[in-house]
Amino acid sequence: MNDIDKIEKLKTFVDPAAITNPAPRRIFVTVEPKNLVSFTAKLKAELDCWYVSTISGVDKGEIYEILYHFGDTTGSIHIRTRITKADPKLPSLCAVIPGVVLYERELQDMFGIVVENLSDPRPLLMSDDWPAGNFPLRKDWKFERPDEIIPGGKK
Amino acid sequence: MKFNIPIGPQHPALKEPISIRLTVEGEVIQDADLRLGYNHRGMEKLAEEKSYIQNIYLTERICGICSHSHSTCFVQGVEKLMEIEPPRRGIYLRYLVGELERVHSHLLWLGVAGHEAGFDTFFMYTWRDREIVMDLLEMISGNRVHYAINTVGGVRRDVDEALRKKILDGLAILRTRSEYYLKIGASEPTFVGRLAGVGRLTKQQAMDLCATGPTAKASGVALDVRKNDPHAFYDEVDFDVITADSCDVLGRTVVRIKEVLESYKICEQILAKLPDGPIAVKAPRKAKPNEVVSRYEAPRGENIHYIVSNGTDKPERLKVRAPTLGNYVATIEMLRHGFIADVPLIFAAIDPCVCCAERSVELIDGKSGKERILRFSDLRRMANERFRTLPLQRNVAWPF
Repeated sequence: MNDIDKIEKLKTFVDPAAITNPAPRRIFVTVEPKNLVSFTAKLKAELDCWYVSTISGVDKGEIYEILYHFGDTTGSIHIRTRITKADPKLPSLCAVIPGVVLYERELQDMFGIVVENLSDPRPLLMSDDWPAGNFPLRKDWKFERPDEIIPGGKK
Repeated sequence: MKFNIPIGPQHPALKEPISIRLTVEGEVIQDADLRLGYNHRGMEKLAEEKSYIQNIYLTERICGICSHSHSTCFVQGVEKLMEIEPPRRGIYLRYLVGELERVHSHLLWLGVAGHEAGFDTFFMYTWRDREIVMDLLEMISGNRVHYAINTVGGVRRDVDEALRKKILDGLAILRTRSEYYLKIGASEPTFVGRLAGVGRLTKQQAMDLCATGPTAKASGVALDVRKNDPHAFYDEVDFDVITADSCDVLGRTVVRIKEVLESYKICEQILAKLPDGPIAVKAPRKAKPNEVVSRYEAPRGENIHYIVSNGTDKPERLKVRAPTLGNYVATIEMLRHGFIADVPLIFAAIDPCVCCAERSVELIDGKSGKERILRFSDLRRMANERFRTLPLQRNVAWPF
């Protein structure tokens, strides 16, 4: 299946204006967060897209842009969705594609996005004593090295 | 009674810090859990503060084995953002190093697998022959691990006629050796007996859990970016995507050896068709606001970089997904219902050791679910006490 066939198929269940094809084998589809799970289920059933490479989050000022990178045997489809910073909530795709759990947990750690109905919502990368409310990949977050305290060390 | 066995994060047998928590009942693993983040270096944040040229060397340091695959993935994305096309000779040399890296990485893995299976001769053989490809890489790039050969717009070092011949000679030796390893890996009875059926991952599980690389290929999933989404010149060379359907460690071993043989084929085609001309073009410093998804087939699976540019000389966002992260969920599934003794084999690439796990175990009472932390000395005392108070049995039949 080449890009043209895939776009034709996508047009049957998504608004044609939401589909872009900037490079060969790269199709971008913009989807509302509330339609994400149903769209992914359709993508899996009709276009045989079951492999998610990763999920990228981008901080764009007032909004977060989340990209789900799907790969298949003839190219890749990238689902783009946007959520506001004021209400950073996303539905979980774990029910459709169980393999995304680590990427969704990473998204929670790095951006403070709440992924709803996540099968395993524990922190993935942050240490147990990581201060709450610190989300490193937000643009307004700057790293400040804390004073080093050596237990039993010099005063 | 169930035991929780923690392995890591800091452990003499682990080369990298990772924490594996196994719940075992007897010898059988009932559940496994991974905790990551002990080696998180914040590279995605750091990349936003560095220029494109600096980021080549940053991405190269993501991995210490497949360093070239990350820098290539980054560079081929940045070239698209800057709208430049590297010269053909530059592309050929870049992917020549990439394929030689795949050979070195797979030979390394084979050695580790042999060692974990208790077949140290195999380990000695593969690591000796790995030196041939390491020497070739050093002759091409000047370095054994971080080749630093990529630059935006091409490569930094050229290959002359004498070196071309040396590479071909080295490949000829490696090919005979690898064919011998294929014979061992697929037919040596003790080795096959140790690997077959260990770490099972069915095709459906591999697809559901988004496994990638040789892990997925050994479960019959033919995902290979070089074939599915051919970057650079991979649509011009002739090679096969290797798959196996045994769904176990034996399949993963065979896939890797056969992949090495395919890599020799690609390298020979590159060297036979090596075009003349420059190796690099001059690249601009800045990139227009845009976005690009760059995919590359690293030795361990698909490597994906998502780069957003903003008109300056620094990227707005660089998202990196290394293949190992994609395989962790599948690894948990492979460990489940396996034996403790198989953990090192299943985890071979990460290389942990269970027998010398941390010196405390957590006991969960199978009936009440109550947890107690015990030291090994307490366990020994409990065991001795139990045997002392056991009623004496006479004329007991030997069960076997």
